[in-house]
Amino acid sequence: MRGALRSWVRLLALQASWNFERMQGIGMGHAAEPLLRDLQVMDPARHTEATVRSADFFNAHPYLAGLALGALARAELDGAPEEQIVRLRKALCGPLGAMGDQIFWAGLLPALMAAALVLAVLGAPWIGVAVFLGGFNLVRLAVSRWALARGLSSGLMVGAAIARSWLPRWMVLAAPVAAALVGAALPLTGAWLLEGFGPGGVAAALVIALAGTLLVRWIGSVLTPVRFALLAALLTVIWHRVAG
Amino acid sequence: MMDLPWPTLGALLAWGTVVGVDLVSVPQGMIARPFVAGAVAGAILGDPAAGVRIGIALELFALDVLPVGAVRYPEYGPATVAAVAVGVFAPWELALGLSVMLGLVLALFGGWSMQSVRRANARSVRTHSARLMAGDYATVRRIHFQGLARDLVRAVVVTAVGLALALAVRRVPLARPEAVGLTLVAVGAGCAAAFGGAWRGAGHGSRLRWLAAGMAAGLAWVLLG
Repeated sequence: MRGALRSWVRLLALQASWNFERMQGIGMGHAAEPLLRDLQVMDPARHTEATVRSADFFNAHPYLAGLALGALARAELDGAPEEQIVRLRKALCGPLGAMGDQIFWAGLLPALMAAALVLAVLGAPWIGVAVFLGGFNLVRLAVSRWALARGLSSGLMVGAAIARSWLPRWMVLAAPVAAALVGAALPLTGAWLLEGFGPGGVAAALVIALAGTLLVRWIGSVLTPVRFALLAALLTVIWHRVAG
Repeated sequence: MMDLPWPTLGALLAWGTVVGVDLVSVPQGMIARPFVAGAVAGAILGDPAAGVRIGIALELFALDVLPVGAVRYPEYGPATVAAVAVGVFAPWELALGLSVMLGLVLALFGGWSMQSVRRANARSVRTHSARLMAGDYATVRRIHFQGLARDLVRAVVVTAVGLALALAVRRVPLARPEAVGLTLVAVGAGCAAAFGGAWRGAGHGSRLRWLAAGMAAGLAWVLLG
C-alpha cells in the first residue's frame, strides 16, 4: 500500500508529542497521514474527517500501535461507518497496551538486559551491549513492520487477526523467561559489583538490599527504590560524619 | 573549575542529548538504558570500564521501572552520562557510590522534566484544538514537531545540568569510609530495586517460580563458579 513505509518510519517517533490530553493521538495522526493521502483525492470531505479522527486520543504500546494505525487507515479507505472506526480505535488501546507491555517491557527488555549483564560480568561488556541493542531492535523493528502490515490487511477485522497471531502466545511466554533470566543475572551482577569488598562489605550490602526490598514492598507508595537509596546514602554520610 | 576538556564535555553533551530523546520521542531504540549510555559515556571519557560499572549499577534501578501508559518514572539516560563523568579515573570502590547517587538525583530531575514537557504538549494541543477539529493536518504536524523540539531542548538542559553538577561533585572531598559506605549503599539498594521490580512483576503464580529458579541458578553459579 502507498505510504506504508513512510508511516512505519513515522511510527518510530510516535510518542514525540506525547501529552496528557490525547496521549499518542497526535503522533498517530502524523503517522496516519501518508496512508490517508489517497482519500484526499477520492473523497476530500471524508479525508478531513479521517484526519480529525486520526489525531484523536490514543494510547497503546508504541511498538504495536501499527496494528491500530493500519486497521484504522484501511477502515477509512474502505468507507467504514464513523461509529465503527471510533469504537475500534477505543477498543484497541487496552489490548495492544497490555500485550505490548507484557511482551516488550516485562519480557523482551528485561530478558535481553539480563543476558547483557551476564555477558558484561563475564568480561564481555561490548558483546553485551551489541546483543542487547541488536536483539531488541531487530525484534522491535520487525514486529512494528509486521503490525502495520497486518493492520492494513485486516481493517475492521483486526481483532480476529490479533487473536490468531503469535501475540497471545508470546504474551504468555515472554514474562516467565524474563523472570528466570533476571533472577539468574541478579546474584551474578551483585557479586561482581561487590568484588574485593570482603565478607563485611558483602554482608553490609546484603542487609541494605534486604531492608530496601522489604521497606519498598511495604510502603512502596511513599518509599520508592530511588528514595530509599538516597535516604540510605544520606544516613551513611551523616553517620560517618557524626561517628568520625 | 574545568577538569574535563571542552571537546569531551561537548561529546558527552551530544551523547546525553541523543540518549535523552531516545527514551520516549525517537527512536526508542534503548540506547537510553543506563548500561548502554554508561558504557558509551565511559568510552568517550577514555575509561570504558568505569562507564560499564556505573551503568550496570544504575541499570539495576532502571530494571524496576515498567514504563506503561502515563506512569511517572525517573529518566536514567542523561543521568547516567553525568554519573559516569563523576566516577571515571578513580578507584571504583570509592567512586561508584557517589556517581550512582548523583545519577539517581538527576534521574528524578529528568523524570520531572519529562512531565513538564508533556504538560507543555497538552497546552499546545488545547491551544490548537479548533484547527485539529477542522482536520488541519499541518497543525497535527506542527504540534508533533514542537513536541519533538521540546524534548530535544529538555534533553540538552538535563544533560548540561547533569554535567555541571558532575564537575562540582568530582571535587567533593569524601573520607574513604564514607565513599565505601556510599558504594555499598548503591549496590545494595540497586539489587533491592531490581529484585523488588522482578518480584512485583512475577506476582504469585508460575512467574514467581521461574524467578526463584533463576535466582537459585545464579546463586549456585556465584557460590560454585
